[in-house]
Amino acid sequence: MANFTEETISVAGGNLQVYKGGSGDPLLVLHGAGGNAGPRRYAQALAEKFTVYLPSHPGYGKSDRPGWVETMQDLACFYTWYQEQEGLENVRAIGFSMGGWLAAEMLSMTGHAFSKVMLVGAAGIKPNDGEITDIFIINPGQIRDLAYHDPSQVPEWDEMFGSDPTPEQTDQAESDREMAIRLTWRPYMHNPRLPAKLSRVSVPTHIVWGENDNLVPVECAGLYQQALSGSQVTVIPNCGHSPQIEKPDDFVQTALAFL
Amino acid sequence: MFLMRFTERAYVNYTEEDVRNSPNEAVRLTFSNSNFNPQEGHYLYNMYLDEYEYSEEVGFDGLMLNEHHNTPTCLGATMNLEAAILARNTKNSKIVLLGNPLPIFDNPIRLAEELAEIDMISGGRLVSGFVRGTGVESLATNTNPLHNRARFEEAHDLVIKTWTTPGPFRWEGDHYHFRVVNPFQTPIQKPHPPVWIPGTGSPETLVWCAERNYPYIFLETDPQGTQDMKSIYAETAREHGYEPGPENFGYLVRIHVQDTDEKAYDVGKGYMVGNIGVGRIPLPRDYASPVGYGSRSDDPRFLRLREQIRSDPFRVGGLDGAQYDSILDSKRWIIGSPDTVISQLREVLSFMRPGILAVWTNDGSISHEDTMRCLELMGQEVLPALREIGEELELTDPFQKEGVQPGLTRM
Repeated sequence: MANFTEETISVAGGNLQVYKGGSGDPLLVLHGAGGNAGPRRYAQALAEKFTVYLPSHPGYGKSDRPGWVETMQDLACFYTWYQEQEGLENVRAIGFSMGGWLAAEMLSMTGHAFSKVMLVGAAGIKPNDGEITDIFIINPGQIRDLAYHDPSQVPEWDEMFGSDPTPEQTDQAESDREMAIRLTWRPYMHNPRLPAKLSRVSVPTHIVWGENDNLVPVECAGLYQQALSGSQVTVIPNCGHSPQIEKPDDFVQTALAFL
Repeated sequence: MFLMRFTERAYVNYTEEDVRNSPNEAVRLTFSNSNFNPQEGHYLYNMYLDEYEYSEEVGFDGLMLNEHHNTPTCLGATMNLEAAILARNTKNSKIVLLGNPLPIFDNPIRLAEELAEIDMISGGRLVSGFVRGTGVESLATNTNPLHNRARFEEAHDLVIKTWTTPGPFRWEGDHYHFRVVNPFQTPIQKPHPPVWIPGTGSPETLVWCAERNYPYIFLETDPQGTQDMKSIYAETAREHGYEPGPENFGYLVRIHVQDTDEKAYDVGKGYMVGNIGVGRIPLPRDYASPVGYGSRSDDPRFLRLREQIRSDPFRVGGLDGAQYDSILDSKRWIIGSPDTVISQLREVLSFMRPGILAVWTNDGSISHEDTMRCLELMGQEVLPALREIGEELELTDPFQKEGVQPGLTRM
């Protein structure tokens, strides 16, 4: 297993917490609205082949929030700043859920952020038939119940959810949730203008969804495919919103084949 | 002392089972409006307005209204409409709105216009209170809870400027942007209708009120904790060059009176399904206080006070769970015959020393008939006695205060 280190760098006048591990070409991993779960099993596996960068978004984890980061577009601006500063432009990237939306916003702004992008259960586009679950009027336990299709198949379940959170973890979860509220409140978890702007994208994109996603409907995979010309879609059966956690082996296999 | 009458105007024609079957078992926000019958609404709105008009007749100085959204516990979803009707149908009582939830308004200029109309129609009887609103108000109107306080303050500044500065002017703020602020209608009261702020003791709001000499109306707060809250207000007031007195404070209490203690005890049980709702099922935390709604001040004074508010058994997980008898024992609700109520209120008033007393005469399932009898007894026996007690304890109200009247902007 690759060793990950945790480092803090200064970006745009604030501290950014980044987990970094592995060797090879850089791979930028963008976490979802729930926060940075650190280098889980899927990240360890990817680090066998890539140098994985897993930052905590501004306002999440131990990362500061520069006062101007209020919207997803601000966050995208922040990350292009980070990429430029750290020499991480034109790299491979994976975005999970809200992090997928973030990657898509960045794709809509610049052609030199990424060389290849994988969007996983990505928010950002409004479904036609279903709805993106409003995670702000349900509690963390309810969100977790909806996020996983079958907890018994989650290899890291005990490690991640086996014990009650410490007061520090509860505080961190609240402050992460606060940042999610700041970024995605209205319009909720999507940008109505995003699909039109994605028609500029020419880099290879791969869309991955859990077939049984109860948070962001699987129909959004098709909507992203329509918006991103030439993109491929993989739907992972019997799997919820977070394939990288619920079915890490299937997920890593799909990721390595594409990346 | 200023005596005003209040009820939340409850709708109670639903069952505990209806609440249990609702999303998150919540009686607010997501409790389906399919449980509402507008025919019953027709009856209730008119009944509640009748009761307010009668409240003026029996001698209350003020008619207090409030506003909540997506809930059967308070029919005042657009309080200004009820206020406008009372402005026309009453003659002397102040119309006290506690208050309009500022952050939820995307257009505070419209609010300034509505309030100006109410003030003019009533001949200058409006008291314009403002609130941040509960978390449910933010969620029901899709107002980001993180911006709640900032929007409250900016909307307030905009409304006051709209009322006090000749237009047209332009407003480019953080949350509000208007190219031409110039509503033609302005309030009759100058410089503007008095502003009173109700709340449960959020320290930041206390400081904000004290900076402006706005009376703060404590909503059923714990009497001991209220002393600490008052001292936070007083400290800030002194920094701003004035000494606050009873005229800077109000207190809301449920007070129900019937001919005998026994009758009042029975009728008063109707309060139990008031603002908690039928079934008394606690509201999910993410509804009542979404993440980001509360502030993260680390001032130790504030932290201590917040802890005190949180641990008030009557308030947090208290009122929903508390037994009727223990609520009465704590004297947080005053229920009885006129003599009982007067003697208990003497104690409360001596300790709390409010210049404004908000009398929450009825709620929940208390019937119209019982409410009318309660109001009649209030007028005949309780209000005159309270006025005497007020004189004796020198509980000056904002309108009796010589010099600068609390409620008018200082900053």
